[in-house]
Amino acid sequence: MINRRTSLQIALAGVSLAALGVPALAQTGPIKIGFHAPLTGFAAADGKSAQLGAELAVAQANAAGGIGGRKIELDIIDDQGKPEQGVPVANRFISEKYPVVVSGSYSGPTRAAAPVFHGAGVPYISSYAIHPDITRSGNYVFRTSFMGEVQGRAGAKLVGELLGKKNVAVITVNNDFGQALASGFKEAAPKFGVSIIKEYFFGMPDRQFGPLVASVKADNPEAIYASGYFFNAGPLVAQLRGAGITVPIIGQEGYDGQKFIEIAGKAAEGVIITTSLDRDSKAPEAVAFISEFEKANPGVKVDMVAASTHTATRVALEALKKVGIADRAKIREAIAATNLEASTGRISFNKLGEVKKSVQNQIVKDGRWRHHSVIDDPVLLAPPES
Amino acid sequence: MLHVELTIQGLINGSMYALMAVGLTLVYGLLRILHVAHAGLYTLGAYIAVLIANATGSLALGAAVAIPVVGLAGMIVYRLLYEPILHRPPYVALIASIGLFIVMEESYRLIFGPYGETFNAPYLAERVSVGPIGAKAAEVAMVAGAIVLLGVLAFLSKRTRFGIAWRATVTDPAMARAFGVDTIAVRYANFFIASALAASAAVLVAVLNNLVEPTMGSVPSYKTLAIIVLGGLGNVAGTLVAALALGVIEAFGTIYIGHLLDRDAIAFLFLVLVLMIRPQGLFAAR
Repeated sequence: MINRRTSLQIALAGVSLAALGVPALAQTGPIKIGFHAPLTGFAAADGKSAQLGAELAVAQANAAGGIGGRKIELDIIDDQGKPEQGVPVANRFISEKYPVVVSGSYSGPTRAAAPVFHGAGVPYISSYAIHPDITRSGNYVFRTSFMGEVQGRAGAKLVGELLGKKNVAVITVNNDFGQALASGFKEAAPKFGVSIIKEYFFGMPDRQFGPLVASVKADNPEAIYASGYFFNAGPLVAQLRGAGITVPIIGQEGYDGQKFIEIAGKAAEGVIITTSLDRDSKAPEAVAFISEFEKANPGVKVDMVAASTHTATRVALEALKKVGIADRAKIREAIAATNLEASTGRISFNKLGEVKKSVQNQIVKDGRWRHHSVIDDPVLLAPPES
Repeated sequence: MLHVELTIQGLINGSMYALMAVGLTLVYGLLRILHVAHAGLYTLGAYIAVLIANATGSLALGAAVAIPVVGLAGMIVYRLLYEPILHRPPYVALIASIGLFIVMEESYRLIFGPYGETFNAPYLAERVSVGPIGAKAAEVAMVAGAIVLLGVLAFLSKRTRFGIAWRATVTDPAMARAFGVDTIAVRYANFFIASALAASAAVLVAVLNNLVEPTMGSVPSYKTLAIIVLGGLGNVAGTLVAALALGVIEAFGTIYIGHLLDRDAIAFLFLVLVLMIRPQGLFAAR
C-alpha cells in the first residue's frame, strides 16, 4: 500500500533528481577515458613513464579548455604487464562506456584486450606495444608506434647503409618484442649488404651476459645489433665494452631512456638506436613535450614510452575534440583520419590502423641521447596493410 | 679458448648462485622451510648498499652496513613470520614466504621507484687479465667473495663450538637441547648467517650490473630453489657443487642451445634430468 507520505517522498525524490539533473550532470562533469599500464610488477618502470606521458597529454588538453568546455580525466588501471589481465581490464572499461581507451602497456595485455574492444565497438589505441596481431584484431584498434618488424628493417638500413657495416652479430631478447625486431632486421639485411654471422638469445630477466659476451668477442663482428630493454641493454653494453669489444652497438627503442645511460655509464657513449623521439627535434610539438614533461616531473627524463603514450593519448583526445563523445563509430573514423603533428612526429594511420611515420636515430653523446639521423623511407617502413 | 672463457663465466655466475643457495639450504636443513623471501632480503641488501654508497661515496661502507642489517632483517623475518607457524604443515610457511616476497618487491617499488638505482660512480669496472683470459674486476670479486665467505662458513661449522651446536641442532634438535644447546639461538644465528650471505651476493651483483631494481630477486627466488633440490635439500656441500655446475651448464647452454631454450629453461631441464636419475638430488642429505 502506498500511503500519502510514501508518495510524497517519491515525488520529492523525483523533483530533487530532476533538479540535480542526472543528464545535465553527465554533460558538465569530466569526460573519462580508459587507460591501462603495468604500474606494478616487472614492467613497472615503463608503466610509470606511460602514465606520466598520458597524464601530460590530458593536462595539456585541460589547460587548453578541455573538450567542449569539459575537463578530461584518465581512469587508470594497473594491468601488471600480464596477458591474463587484458580481458578483465577491457571488460571494466567497456562497462564504463568510455568513448575511447588507450593502452600504455606491453604486447601481452594489449593483444588480449584488443579483440574485446573491437568486439564492443570501443576505439582502442596502443601506444608502444609491438605485436602484429594487435591491429589485426579489427578496425577499432590503432597503434601509434612502429611494429617491431618495421623498426627492425630501419635497424638494418642504419647498420648497412648509414654506418656501412656488413658482418653483424645479432643479440635478441627472446620475447615477441625481440623476435619481431630480429625478423625485420633479417628480412631487410640482404638489401643493405648486411650478413648475420651469428644470432644470440637471452631472456628478459637476464642481466649477466658473460658467456654471450665471450662468444661475441670470438666472432669478431663489425657491428652488433642488440634488442632488449634498458634494464637488459645497460648491463649488456657495459659488459660488451668491458670485454674490450669496441665495434658499434646498435639498439632500438627498448634502450630509449636516461636510465640506460646511467646503468651503462661511459660504455653507453656512441651507442645508436632506432626510436620514435628525437630530443634535438626543432618541431614545436616535440620541443614543448620535452620541456613540459621535465617541468611536470622533476628528476624524470623523458623517454620513448612517455612520448609514445603522450602521442597515443593526444590522438584519442583530438578525435574526441572533432566529433564529441557520443558516437563511437564516428570517433573511430576520426582516429582513422588522424593527421597530427605530435611529439613523435607527424602521425597518420594506414588501412590496418598502423602508424605511418619516420624513424628517429639517436646516439649517446656526453651522457645524453642526441640526434644521429632520420630514416624517412616510406617503402622500407611501410607497415602491413592487412 | 672460448670454452675456457665460458667455463670461467659459468663459475662466476655459479658463485653468485652459491652465496644465495647456501643460505637457503641452511634454512631448509634446520626448519624444513622453503624460504622464498630470502630473495627479498637479497634485494634489500642491494638497496642498502647502493643508497649508502651513493650518499657517502664509499661502497665498502655500503656493504659493511648492508650485510649485518640484512642479517638482522632475516632474524626478524624468522621471529615474526616463521616462528608463529612452525607447527603448521610446511606449505603454510611456503605460502607465507611467497606472500612476504611479493610484499617486499612491491614495497621496494613504492619506496624507491620502479626505475631502479645505479651507482653514481661504477665500481670495479676495470678489466683484469691474465694472458688472453680476462674478466671484470667485479666478476673476480664475485668469485673471491664466494670463496672467502663460504670458507669462513665451513670453518665456523667444523672448527667452533657454535658450529658443533649448529650441526647438532640440524641432526637432532631434541637431543641437542638435552645436551644444553640453545636451539632457539641456533635458529636466529642460522637466519642471520643465511641472510648476510644473501646480502653479500646482492652487493656483488649490484656492482656487477650497476643496477638495483625492485624485481632483482625474482630470478634468484626460484633458481636457488632448483639448486637446493639439485644439491640434495639441506646439504651444504651438495648445494655448492650444484650451484657451480648450474652456472657452467647455463654458460654453455646459452651459447650452444640458446636459440632453442632460454637460460631458465636450460636450468630447469638440467634439474628435471638429474631428478629423473637421482630423485634425492645430486647429493642426498645425510
